[in-house]
Amino acid sequence: MSAGQHRPVPYDPELEPGLAAFLDLVERIPLRADTILANRAHFATIIPPVEQIVGDRPVTVEDRAVPGPPGAPDVVVTVVRPREGVSAAPAFYSIHGGGMVLGNRYFGIDGLIDDVLRFGAVGVTVEYRLAPEHPAPAAVEDCYAGLVWLAEHADELGVDRDRVVVTGASAGGGLSAGVALLARDRGGPAIAGQGLICPMLDDRNVSVSTRQYDGLGAWDRNNNDTAWNAILGPLRGTDEVSPYAAPARMADLSGLPPAFIDVGAAEIFRDEATEYALRIWATGGQAELHVWAGGYHGFTGFSPGAEVSRAAAAARLSWLRRILRSP
Amino acid sequence: MSRPTSEEPAVSHPPVPFDPEIEPALAQIVQPDAPPFTPETIPAMRQSMAAMFPPAAEVVGDAPVDVVERTVPGPEGAPDLEITILSPRDLAGPVPGLYNIHGGGMMVGHRNMDVSRLVALVLELGVVAVNVEYRLAPEHPHPAPVEDCYAGLKWMVEHADELGVDPDRVVVMGGSAGGGLSAGVALLARDRGGPALAGQLLLCPMIDDTNTTIASRQYSGLGTWTREANLAGWRSLLGDAVGTDEVSPYAAPSRATDLSGLPPAFIEVGSAEPFRDEDTEYALRIWATGGQAELHVWSGAFHGFDMYVPEWHVSRIAIETRNSWLRRVLGLVGR
Repeated sequence: MSAGQHRPVPYDPELEPGLAAFLDLVERIPLRADTILANRAHFATIIPPVEQIVGDRPVTVEDRAVPGPPGAPDVVVTVVRPREGVSAAPAFYSIHGGGMVLGNRYFGIDGLIDDVLRFGAVGVTVEYRLAPEHPAPAAVEDCYAGLVWLAEHADELGVDRDRVVVTGASAGGGLSAGVALLARDRGGPAIAGQGLICPMLDDRNVSVSTRQYDGLGAWDRNNNDTAWNAILGPLRGTDEVSPYAAPARMADLSGLPPAFIDVGAAEIFRDEATEYALRIWATGGQAELHVWAGGYHGFTGFSPGAEVSRAAAAARLSWLRRILRSP
Repeated sequence: MSRPTSEEPAVSHPPVPFDPEIEPALAQIVQPDAPPFTPETIPAMRQSMAAMFPPAAEVVGDAPVDVVERTVPGPEGAPDLEITILSPRDLAGPVPGLYNIHGGGMMVGHRNMDVSRLVALVLELGVVAVNVEYRLAPEHPHPAPVEDCYAGLKWMVEHADELGVDPDRVVVMGGSAGGGLSAGVALLARDRGGPALAGQLLLCPMIDDTNTTIASRQYSGLGTWTREANLAGWRSLLGDAVGTDEVSPYAAPSRATDLSGLPPAFIEVGSAEPFRDEDTEYALRIWATGGQAELHVWSGAFHGFDMYVPEWHVSRIAIETRNSWLRRVLGLVGR
């Protein structure tokens, strides 16, 4: 299918420099089956050491090895807390992005530190196994195991177990949705909210928006194809795909924690994110949906000063305050 | 999107709950003994609503906003239109313009309902607002309301100089029926070759006469704008054509088969109201054409939440978000 049949929604002109910077820095090497490892190595070079990310902000940062899924290795989590200590605090359980093939738990920790300080909260960011070496359900099971550990150690960590938000962007948004589904279906930890930022939910790549951003923009259709092939292998596109790996596959979206779904209008995940919200509402479930005009994939990260990015940041904080009952 | 058949019972559609913070307000807003909308009850409803909203000059009070009430030509062969012009005092011009269309299910309502919303925008953004009165159904069925609104917009753009408005920066806006009429005016302006619009700000817009979405079933007998009220509104506007293929896309914009070539849209709606799905689908269909739209669906918000509970924090962030979009489409970033 030619891209001409699917004219893309244009970018907000104020975002275009950030998009160019993103493409130059993050997507220098097109992501294809044979470039995943090269991309992963490059990706690691653009995430500064955690000490540098923390800078002089008053937080403590501690790594813990916690039990992984049954039969699997331990999972490493990094716990971020305000230096003065907290008790009965809200918690952010943060899952990084990178298509489930790239990235590490420090990707996105900068924003997590901000939220920890803003809300007097505990942040936990999880290192999960990546595809293709570890296909589904390794990633979502690792993420779930880390959440179970957080809930079981809530007292020790100073966390109010009724105020735990699971959140992530891109692959981390998809994994957050998957963890919320697992927690529902296993009678697992209480989740106060699922913050799904430009979430990667659907392995089928059939929506209009997946076709509009074919060879265009950040995390285009080809990158997405590469990643889902790595995650699901030969099962991809079949009815055997686990809904915990690709939450858009879940037939029943009732009984989930309140969702916050945020995505750009000018990106591949726009339609699957919007459909996910529609399907939650259809069950009587709570979801807030924001689709920002002209936003590329991950626009708030690389164009933080743009008017639309500032509005998106304000909306996200508003939802967190409501969910966490925090002034 | 699959839609249930019209025979499916409402009981199979549990509603998205209202936010607990605003649910108590519903008891004050919704009178349990309120009569249904019928041709017999509508005149009295109009009168009691009119009494709730003072004239613009009174709402403006001491704020530095000039108020002009006047009439302008209506559609050919139809009566003149009453409009209110709200301008920043000492306007140096030209500034962007907002063309506002009030709500009320196409049956009731008056432009004075929206004055405080518009005054806030005039003060915040330094724009000129024109607020139009249009004929109401069922006495004046489609196309009277949308043609009145279109005629008023044409007048505004043709008199942009006199108003101190930059004709290239005019946004059409409205809530509920006014959102639907704004979408209809945007379609008319596209199909008639003008006026050019810089955007369409659609607040919980009423755009689909079929009442077949899940959201339209979830709020049967529930909330500030129920399925029953909505059915009455559409029947007033469309008569026996309601729900048939005869319905014009200018009356019910969801009926438009082509949503390409429209001005940038801002679509806002609550997750707990009957228009949630039709409004979300409208955005999806605009994007599918490569058109620009921004969509906000606020958690647990009922229809018209910002008018009924302006102090709620969601009302405040929703208004900030609207203002952000207006700054972006009107070239006011930084203001």
